[in-house]
Amino acid sequence: MIMVHLLMLLVASLLGLFFSYMAITEKDLLKAIAYSAGQGVAYSILFYLLMAPDVVLAYIAIAVGIYSALLVFVVSKTTRYEED
Amino acid sequence: MIDYILFYSGLTLIFIGGICDLLGSLGLLKFPNFYVRLHAATVGAIGGAVIPLIGVSLVALGSDFLPNKYIIAGASFITAIIILIIAPTGSHALAYAAHRAGIVEWKPKCDHLERDKK
Amino acid sequence: MYSMMVLIPLYLSAFIIYVVRAIKGPTIADAVLAIDCLSYDLAVFLAILAIYFKSAFLVSSAIILALWAYLLDLYIAKHLVSKEVGA
Repeated sequence: MIMVHLLMLLVASLLGLFFSYMAITEKDLLKAIAYSAGQGVAYSILFYLLMAPDVVLAYIAIAVGIYSALLVFVVSKTTRYEED
Repeated sequence: MIDYILFYSGLTLIFIGGICDLLGSLGLLKFPNFYVRLHAATVGAIGGAVIPLIGVSLVALGSDFLPNKYIIAGASFITAIIILIIAPTGSHALAYAAHRAGIVEWKPKCDHLERDKK
Repeated sequence: MYSMMVLIPLYLSAFIIYVVRAIKGPTIADAVLAIDCLSYDLAVFLAILAIYFKSAFLVSSAIILALWAYLLDLYIAKHLVSKEVGA
């Protein structure tokens, strides 16, 4: 029974790691925001599986909602593509 | 007797939703451009999210092992209705924004929205 | 209980395919659409787990997840249309 939980934890953490890696190495800032929102969603599975529903509520509201809203606002004020 | 009917009908709805979810994601993977992918996204969002949530509320109503089953049934039913409302509006906003920004390269036979704008 | 063994890989494979489309998506709208559908189906997965874990507090996170994923759509759509968001 515990194997199913550990498998879900593994897949969720791998998704979060993959999303955050893609968010860092992305040139187009809007896609980086979308990937950071995806990373927030993936990590909310972790908090959910570790039996912390209140943390899930707070983390989703911040990582998927307010954080991406602020970053989209910042990107709309500054340039959109990151020149390297 | 009614519990069994509710439980197993909800379970079949969840299975149907899981298969619709898989088909929607496969469609999202295979379709050529963004506007065609919206159809697969709708299959994935409505067929893959609303139907299983109604199934979850039926399962919660029909199950006797849950301590407080009516909370789960009500909450999942409300989530189903909420997703039924916001999924189309979200993808519509995205489609309008993608068309206005012109970021999707596609070869339309005739672009009605472009003609209406003129 | 055996139905959970069938359901969990079904939903996990759907999540992975959505992530593949989110990563591969040429335009921003594809990535946002994939993450949108991913979070809707994740809300369903959380509701199913709420029954599996037999506790009532866990279902409320599904509603919040669905609503905030919708707002992510709107912000990016608003930015794509008019190049300015909010104030």
